[in-house]
Amino acid sequence: MRTILSLILAAGLLIASPAGAVELDPGLQPYKAISGVSGNLKSVGSDTLNNLLTLWSEGFRSAYPGIKISIEGKGSSTAPPALIEATAQFGPMSREMKANEIDAFEKKFGYKPSVARVAVDALAVFVNKDNPIKCLTLKQLDGMFSKTLKGGGKEIRTWGDLGLTGEWADKPISLYGRNSASGTYGYFKELALFKGDYKDSVKEQPGSSAVVQGVASDKYAIGYSGVGYKTADVRIVPLSVKEGKCYDADAENAYSGDYPLARFLYIYFNKKPNQSLDPLMGEFIKYMYSRPGQQVVIKDGFFPVSKALADEDMKKVGIE
Amino acid sequence: MKPEIVRGDSADASETSAVENEQLLSSEKGAREATASEASDHIRAKDEMLPEKGGRGVSRKSMVWDFKARGEPFLWGLGGALTIGIMMIVGFVVLIVYNGLLTFYPKPIERVVLKSGAILAGETTRSEVFRPGPETLKNLSPQDRKLVEDLNGYATRNLYRTGNFDLYNDDFRWVSDYDVAEIHRPRDLIFLERMEWGPFIGTIKSADFNGKIVDKESLKWDELKLQHRQAEKRRKRVKEIERDQLGAINHLLERDRLKLRKVEIKHGKQSAEYLRTLEDLKGKEDELQSRHEELSREAAILKELDAKYTVTMADVGGREVNLRISDMVRFYPANDLSFVEKLGIYLSRWWEFLTDEPREANTEGGVMPAIFGTFCMTVLMSLAVAPFGVMAALYLREYARQGRLVSLVRICVNNLAGVPSIVYGVFGLGFFAYVLGGSIDQLFFPERLPNPTFGTGGLLWASLTLALLTVPVVIVATEEALAAVPQSMREASLACGASKWQTIKNIVLPRAMPGIMTGLILAMARGAGEVAPLMLIGVVKMAPELPIDQFFPYIHLERSFMHLGFHIYDVGFQSRNSEAAKPMVFVTTLLLIFLVFLMNAASITLRNRLKRKFFTGHF
Repeated sequence: MRTILSLILAAGLLIASPAGAVELDPGLQPYKAISGVSGNLKSVGSDTLNNLLTLWSEGFRSAYPGIKISIEGKGSSTAPPALIEATAQFGPMSREMKANEIDAFEKKFGYKPSVARVAVDALAVFVNKDNPIKCLTLKQLDGMFSKTLKGGGKEIRTWGDLGLTGEWADKPISLYGRNSASGTYGYFKELALFKGDYKDSVKEQPGSSAVVQGVASDKYAIGYSGVGYKTADVRIVPLSVKEGKCYDADAENAYSGDYPLARFLYIYFNKKPNQSLDPLMGEFIKYMYSRPGQQVVIKDGFFPVSKALADEDMKKVGIE
Repeated sequence: MKPEIVRGDSADASETSAVENEQLLSSEKGAREATASEASDHIRAKDEMLPEKGGRGVSRKSMVWDFKARGEPFLWGLGGALTIGIMMIVGFVVLIVYNGLLTFYPKPIERVVLKSGAILAGETTRSEVFRPGPETLKNLSPQDRKLVEDLNGYATRNLYRTGNFDLYNDDFRWVSDYDVAEIHRPRDLIFLERMEWGPFIGTIKSADFNGKIVDKESLKWDELKLQHRQAEKRRKRVKEIERDQLGAINHLLERDRLKLRKVEIKHGKQSAEYLRTLEDLKGKEDELQSRHEELSREAAILKELDAKYTVTMADVGGREVNLRISDMVRFYPANDLSFVEKLGIYLSRWWEFLTDEPREANTEGGVMPAIFGTFCMTVLMSLAVAPFGVMAALYLREYARQGRLVSLVRICVNNLAGVPSIVYGVFGLGFFAYVLGGSIDQLFFPERLPNPTFGTGGLLWASLTLALLTVPVVIVATEEALAAVPQSMREASLACGASKWQTIKNIVLPRAMPGIMTGLILAMARGAGEVAPLMLIGVVKMAPELPIDQFFPYIHLERSFMHLGFHIYDVGFQSRNSEAAKPMVFVTTLLLIFLVFLMNAASITLRNRLKRKFFTGHF
């Protein structure tokens, strides 16, 4: 629940406009390019953050034309090894590093990796656009996706088990999910499955967008993926922790922590303690937390972070 | 393979079509039983002869006999399988070509007024028939409900591409036909492609040309086009400054920095060499820096100018957006185009796709770096795989004593062809990149550490990994080709006093060449289409620079690169807006197939020329 607490903190000054379009924290500053920044950057990690990093690097390179940035995104689990092997400077992850990953890093370098929380994502549960389902609780999600049923609910096999009637009543639920290298997989497992195990019938997809496409083409499907990947063919189901009020996967509910599957997106990197960060990496982090940087976050379908949170994370690694 | 029924006469049999043949067979069965059994004996004798003589040894007469025996169900099965195979291939190609070719053709924009009063405008994308749920039906007005009920409970809906992602937060919308009040196609609706945020659909409100404000009525299309061309020119110049000229300066600065670092590692920071190099480079650096500033200033001035030329657009709901003319990629009045204009837009989109760099996380713009990367990698792979594959096969066939060991090696090679390609990727990453590349970095590029040079995926390692993957194909094909060169030719050459190597070089290899080329073509086609191992070893979503450029050593084998196959995977499964990305997937697939086809066609032409030269090759 630490995440939710800090999300509340992050809300700070943020106000989501009623129209649904997300607004930026007015405190975020425009980015100013400085001189003497050059070199190469490489990022290896989460595919949820893949597009975001590509968009950032497009923007960053218009400020520093000479910089070369290459981006690889095969899943959050590929980030820690890349940081440890020093094949990449940035390791974007859609979940927090696990204790054993941090240990492995510490064993190699003698200190812990640094982290920046660069955006807020709501993990959305998608159904086909014709699906009339109104709301789902975490327990119900557990009943659908899990074979261990740690949430304490009953197993749910058909849409009728969720209270749908008519043609839906006897139709089995077709499950779509992510592959196990993905941070989304891990996060959903932790929160919606209460750390249980997925059913074997979950169709594991190689990308966030593939889940949405699967749900779009399969009328009786349900799947989870980042909220930014929504298309016109799918619908996002509001969620609730317990029976009662349901919350849409929008910015306001994500910041307030009411939406149960909101999370931060992280970028991990290697910074020696007592040494200032490489100027190139420092500037890139500054850019991510700038006004155009967070604008890009909205463009990619995620929710921006507040100025207060940006300042806090930058201060931790010694960026003014 | 016993032919059950065969027609007695033979001369005109080959003229009869298979269908007629079948009918004849059933109707004349009884009458011809006697002659049939006689003839079938004859055929059986022929059949038994065939395997011994081999495919080529069959005389013309027996071919006719074979053809006559096609009433066999066995032959029907073969023909059917072939037809199914061909139909699947043709179907696949038609699907790709149809979708790929249509993607860039401009579509009309419809302005839809809904019964709720809302207005939207968008390109029609596709429509589908669906069955509205009971709750939806309950909320409909009585006439609408009747309309749906008349159609047995079915309704139609259209998917509109509304664009304007910055305003609406989505860019596609389904509209059910019972919700629609009216649809027009107004002539003043503009489809505008932007550098960022995807397309904008709406009307032009006013334009600001450096302080001169022109409103909608007095704005001439030609003037806007002219301003757009000039803005494009400025954009190109800015790109030239930033990418080429500033890039070159940055490259030189980086090189000097590395030179200094190298001296530091070798002699230490206090040494005389270090101080001398530092002094040397200082002067150069200042000069480069001042040149850098000069160019940056020029780019800044151009960008400032860009900011003064803007257009104000409004969506159908009246919400206004102000944007720079230099941020406009292409714009056209979608409902007011002649066929020639549409064709022009179509071709200019193709041109952009083939020659430009990707924008907006690869979902827009072009794929030039990916084409280039695919091509470079395939060529490098062929260069690596050809000599190794041919040499291995030569040794196995010509030098090695044929025995149990050689058979074992052969089995291993064949098994190698069956190893999943991702395993090669893991091997490439573990061995080539981490072990080999890591050591190369330690030895030759210590000044760049901790940033890896060869110690990470790159063009060279990817090519070598694919070469490993395709080498069995080349070995097997080459061995077959070598085996097909008649032993007598070798013996004749040896008898004339030529050494073994001279015989191989002058007699065997030239005649086996067409067969070897076939193997290489197969290997190339396999390699160009392979993606899985590349994802681990060198292919990236966005590579900042091409593997070949104007800086020494010109070919940069350590760089990561983009690849069409991976591009398809990435755009198809990873991009935010899968609806908008779908057409791009088809276009890219079309392009990849075309590229593989082109490379194969080139090699086949080459092979045929070789064949003509050495008539005996028949692989």
